[in-house]
Amino acid sequence: MPMANDHITEADFERFRDFFYRKTGIHFDVSKRYFVDKRLQARMAATGHPDFRSYFTELRFNPKNSEIEQLINSMTVNETYFFREQYQFECMTEEVMDELVRNNINMRVPTKSLKIWSIPSSSGEEPYSIAIFLLEHWPGIEEYDVEIISSDIDTAMLAKCKKGIYSERSVQYLPKNIKDKYFKYDALTKFYHLSPDIKNAINFTQVNLADIKQTRSYRNYDLIFCRNLLIYFDDISRRNAAEVFFDALKPGGYIFLGHSESMSRISSLFTVKKFRKAIAYQKPLERGL
Amino acid sequence: MGLKKSTDKTDEPQDSVSFEALVELLNHGSMAEKRLAARDLADHPNGRSELILALQNETDVAVLEAILDSLQQHFDAQLANDLLDYLRSENVFVRNEVIGILQNYPDFVGPHILALLNDVDSDVRIFAVDILQLLAHPDTPQWLLSVIKDEQHINVVAAAVDRLAEVGTPEMIPELQALTERFPNQPYLSFAVKTAIHRIAEAS
Amino acid sequence: MKRVLVVDDAVTVRLYHCDLLKTAGFDVCEAENGVEALEHAMQQPFDLMLVDVNMPKMDGYRLMCEVRRQEALRGIPIVMISTEQEEQDRQQAYAKGANYYLVKPAEPELLVNIALVMTGGSQ
Repeated sequence: MPMANDHITEADFERFRDFFYRKTGIHFDVSKRYFVDKRLQARMAATGHPDFRSYFTELRFNPKNSEIEQLINSMTVNETYFFREQYQFECMTEEVMDELVRNNINMRVPTKSLKIWSIPSSSGEEPYSIAIFLLEHWPGIEEYDVEIISSDIDTAMLAKCKKGIYSERSVQYLPKNIKDKYFKYDALTKFYHLSPDIKNAINFTQVNLADIKQTRSYRNYDLIFCRNLLIYFDDISRRNAAEVFFDALKPGGYIFLGHSESMSRISSLFTVKKFRKAIAYQKPLERGL
Repeated sequence: MGLKKSTDKTDEPQDSVSFEALVELLNHGSMAEKRLAARDLADHPNGRSELILALQNETDVAVLEAILDSLQQHFDAQLANDLLDYLRSENVFVRNEVIGILQNYPDFVGPHILALLNDVDSDVRIFAVDILQLLAHPDTPQWLLSVIKDEQHINVVAAAVDRLAEVGTPEMIPELQALTERFPNQPYLSFAVKTAIHRIAEAS
Repeated sequence: MKRVLVVDDAVTVRLYHCDLLKTAGFDVCEAENGVEALEHAMQQPFDLMLVDVNMPKMDGYRLMCEVRRQEALRGIPIVMISTEQEEQDRQQAYAKGANYYLVKPAEPELLVNIALVMTGGSQ
């Protein structure tokens, strides 16, 4: 049996870095070398490749393998908890919602209701965070209706969402007053139970983004959160998903992606918009080449 | 006011529109109608030829994206063939999107690569090398090697050298070195060759 | 220090242009396509953009249209650089708002001089 040589040279690192950047838009500079090497070595060991060259060849030339997803998973931290990537929620309540209200007033048929789509719902932390953040930080909620629809492909996840029971880890970054206000702590099981008012405010649906017919009824959204999902999709599925979001949004509507994701590897249908705390992608109000 | 539970029906059946009406919408509808028609034509037996045709005249990128997305729902050898014609399109957007799509189908694109690399038009040869940039086909390194051996056009060679920095192997180093003699006084090319050799030679 | 955004999908082209410009005293940043270039340009100021034509997702022409359309970016000079050398390519670039058009492979001195002129003289 040949000796495993999992050493990664500078040139290996450069090759990998450029490939990964082209695929995902995530750029690792030399200061991340140690982090990248460690994760690459772990993936090489897990997949039984004796050296970097053989692993990289598999990654680059085997169209049917899903190793790239595993690798992205190990290079990105994908945890879900309440108020994760809070700066985007702040961006929503400080700037985006008011702009969306103005857009709606200028519509041919003005509306006092806004629609938000949160996908994937996962175990519910994101859609519920959006709901709580709006109630706590957006004064407009007194005047406008907001509908939150949250979807997932996985029905087990949707069932979990509807239950609304969370561990200490899920709520660890919530301020105490928020925890007290929206959750009931069960000292016996050490779980937090989300208040029924919040649970009942969200419509959970099962959806497969790859199924165009299924997504067709998702229309007239003002805002979409799709964080840390597309980065795991292959090029074609990402492109499909971007198409679905484009059709689901009203003109002028926005989409937020995860912090390590960039629309630059997915689609050019959206305009890049810089807010004070975050970048969002906008479906143009009027279109042209 | 406040949070309101949505009453949207998310599983409503859609009205079906006739083929002729879809084609009419695809060519003369609003942007949203064109996109929807493009989607619906994906599953129609005669939809493909209409979509391919619309690719020629459409200028709105949002519609073009929907057409290309729709075409991909049923990818096969014939579609690869049809899309390859668009490498000659004057529309930069269509051309680049087609390159991006073809990169995902090594089995269907592979058989065309040699012909593309030998095309009379140097632009088409560059686009072929662009397809190889992400094509997961095991022959990719060999195709690139053939370019640096035989190609006369500096920009086609330069593009191939750029890709070899990622996928080249040590036995290609002499061919890379030979380029600096074949194309003297080309500072970018010699930089690219140096970079590629460094990455290949010092790889594990 | 003047800042240049180098936009090209070929990694060695980006490395080469960045090297040249850094040696000439510029601060540089890179992007692989038009969308990524816009993302960068929204978040930090640039004195010049050096833009390839053929790129995935968003090509150089569409990037230029977007830059010229957005008030915050409109004034940034753009040098287009392309393998296409026909007169009509050059004219199309100028018609769409390029400040200069270079054919690849560009002479290093020419590229640096143009960058200097476009950003208002020597560093």
